[in-house]
Amino acid sequence: MPVADLLIGGILLGGVYALMACGLNLIFGVMRVINFAHGDILAISALSTVSIAVGLKLPFWVAIVFVPIGCAAFGALIQVLILRRIEGAPMIMSLLATYALSTILVNVAILIWGGGYSGLPGVLSGSIRIIGVNVSLSRLVSFVCAIGVSLAVWWMLEYTRFGRAVRSVSAAPELASISGIAIERVRLATFALGTAMAGFAGVLVAPAFAIDPQLGSRFIIKAFAVIIVGGMGSYPGAILAALLLGVVEVVGSYFAGAVIGSAFLFLLMLAVLLVRPRGLLGAGVRA
Amino acid sequence: MKGINPLAIIGVAAIVAIVLPFVGSDYAISFSIQLLIFLVLAASWNWIGGYAGYTHFGQVGFFGIGAYVGSLLNFHYGMPWYLAAIIAALAGAAVAIPLGGAMLRLKGPFFAIGMFGLARVLEAFALGFDSITGGGTGIYLKPVSDLRPLYWAVAGVAMIMVLLTWRLDNSRLGLKLLAIREDESAAESLGLPTTRLKIGTFVASAIAPAAMGSIYAVYLGFIDPPTAFAPNMELTTIAMVLLGGMGTVLGPLVGAIVLSVVNEVLWASYPQIYLACVGVIVLLAVLFMPRGIVSLGMKKGWFRIGRPQFRRLAARKEQAAA
Amino acid sequence: MSDPILAVENVSKRFAGRVALDSVSIEVAPGSITGMIGPNGSGKSTLFNIVAGTLRPDQGRVLVTGQNTGSSSAAEICGLGVARTFQISRLFAEMTVLENLVAVARGRDDRAAISLALELLDFLEIGDIADRWGAELSYGQRKLVEIARALMLQPKIMLLDEPFAGVNPRLQNRIVEHLRALCARGITVFFIDHEMRIVLGECDLVYVLAEGRLIARGDPQSVRNDAKVLQAYF
Repeated sequence: MPVADLLIGGILLGGVYALMACGLNLIFGVMRVINFAHGDILAISALSTVSIAVGLKLPFWVAIVFVPIGCAAFGALIQVLILRRIEGAPMIMSLLATYALSTILVNVAILIWGGGYSGLPGVLSGSIRIIGVNVSLSRLVSFVCAIGVSLAVWWMLEYTRFGRAVRSVSAAPELASISGIAIERVRLATFALGTAMAGFAGVLVAPAFAIDPQLGSRFIIKAFAVIIVGGMGSYPGAILAALLLGVVEVVGSYFAGAVIGSAFLFLLMLAVLLVRPRGLLGAGVRA
Repeated sequence: MKGINPLAIIGVAAIVAIVLPFVGSDYAISFSIQLLIFLVLAASWNWIGGYAGYTHFGQVGFFGIGAYVGSLLNFHYGMPWYLAAIIAALAGAAVAIPLGGAMLRLKGPFFAIGMFGLARVLEAFALGFDSITGGGTGIYLKPVSDLRPLYWAVAGVAMIMVLLTWRLDNSRLGLKLLAIREDESAAESLGLPTTRLKIGTFVASAIAPAAMGSIYAVYLGFIDPPTAFAPNMELTTIAMVLLGGMGTVLGPLVGAIVLSVVNEVLWASYPQIYLACVGVIVLLAVLFMPRGIVSLGMKKGWFRIGRPQFRRLAARKEQAAA
Repeated sequence: MSDPILAVENVSKRFAGRVALDSVSIEVAPGSITGMIGPNGSGKSTLFNIVAGTLRPDQGRVLVTGQNTGSSSAAEICGLGVARTFQISRLFAEMTVLENLVAVARGRDDRAAISLALELLDFLEIGDIADRWGAELSYGQRKLVEIARALMLQPKIMLLDEPFAGVNPRLQNRIVEHLRALCARGITVFFIDHEMRIVLGECDLVYVLAEGRLIARGDPQSVRNDAKVLQAYF
């Protein structure tokens, strides 16, 4: 029954989108930076995972632990070297900077890993049956982990002291600094965390999809679509929209082919931008 | 007034451009065609991004539309490339009018991303509707025997674009666009018809890129979606304007020359290294020189400060009072 | 009042549940100097924004020279003869003073625009800073340039948002003289400020806002002694 197939396929895809979009949203909320390089961090993490598992022949869990940590360190570096210097500048400057960073990362990735596709055939292979549908194990695991981490970060935002600090800085940076919150540290930690989330998403993607260095560019626009549809700055909105868009993409691809199917996502994003810029649950973006 | 007059530099560039086809090798002409195409793209983007302040990542969408419109006209009806380019330009404008009306309502980064998404949609359509566009295989065109006519066309358009920018820079229209860039809502409160100005600039910035797209397809003899809608082309264009100087007359020219040379030097090794370098250049420009070379030059007095019309008169008034 | 040049009728405005303006009605007579005072947060700037067209009222309407501006954009309202300055000056930073003025000039004639700009700069006695960048000006100079820029629109009514704030007394007096001169030329002046000496000394009519409501209206003498006003402020 294609409907259940499509729905489940869409939701599983959406899980990864959710993790990516949540990281992006976190970064945008706190730093007002739109991180164009987010997708390429995911791609490089996926490729690194392949290198770790296949090239170095280390077990998969090594990648799960170390790749996100590496990403967090990289994120901290970017924040300190680049983003901190352009904090006061108009938003377009950080957009250009991360756009440039994205280009650098993609091309470095092509130089290191070559332009072709790779994958992790041996890890989490096989499928299981859920309500009469054959579901690939790797996609299921990646969905569970992705949603799990997204929800865990959400919990952290709501209930921990650090989370409250993050939300204060998002909502009102001037007030936050007056009330004693170390804004710079919050920004640093947030960017590192957001980057680590992208890294983790990359690790999860590796066993479930075919990956190449250009993967990031394809993912980033979808992540943007997710946040815009969900509402910029709204964490639950991102999760909801991610699942929705995963389904839209899978359904669209089924009926109109993979290429146009992915275009549906962008079209939905454009429609939302024009008709209801707030998205499902967010704040305004109009000029 | 101190500093070199921008018209002098434009004049020198024009002389070089005119002489080149007679003394240059085929390789030099080919290189120059690419440089000039980028110059046109950069000059166009400079209008909407540099002057009006509406930077965006979707200009390559118009380039691609022009490439496909021109190629299809050439392929199916044998239309000569110069006519096809004109129709491609009109197609670009026709798409830009409603698009501008819709997209320009968005705030800065959302406009930029929206346009980026649009270019990706167009690329997906070019890939997907393969019965019309040839899909991933692309369209093959009859190769041209002599590049010189193409060169003249592109050089002519480039010259027009630069001169139009010079006129814009020194005019009240230019000031109005800058006002929109600096503080759009204040400008609107003071009576500027911002919507009309924005849409007009947006459409104007779409025309030449569409024509260039169609000529580029003829130049390559081939077009396919990744070539027509290449994000790298977008990045290079923006890098040129950013590095050269957004909102200046010479900025796109300086940027186009610098980056084309970098391209030539590095392309021999690997395209990836070239693109990574463009990324690094943009990054460094954003961090250390966001106003670009030409603006820096104006501050230091190498180039004459722009918008002389509004300086000379102030000076004349002081003389009259003295 | 016969045919006010500006009439605000029962305008209300809320922001996210908070009442910014509550059924405020105001009339400004042509050729007069009218002032509006009130504690911070009383809605004065909101009212200006609504009159100028950058905000829409939730209820009520605004009439400029008798015309309802309900469906007009800010630029169209300028066309009706309204010009405004901003509380925190919003000059175009990457342009000179002259360019700031010429940028908003109406009409097609460049020369006329430039000479009008120079004339206005002279009128405000700041002709010598015509070529200075917007970003380089002192606080007082910015205020004067803001006024000059608004005057470029050749308005019938000028809305000035705290033109005297943070400015030294000598400059304040100069601005007062300029405003009087404008009045003499038939331009209506409507301004918000906290500088009581000037408001009560210069205005024909004073409105007092507090917490979004109009609590007093009248000539300076009666407003000065009004108990509600004293209570609101002190």
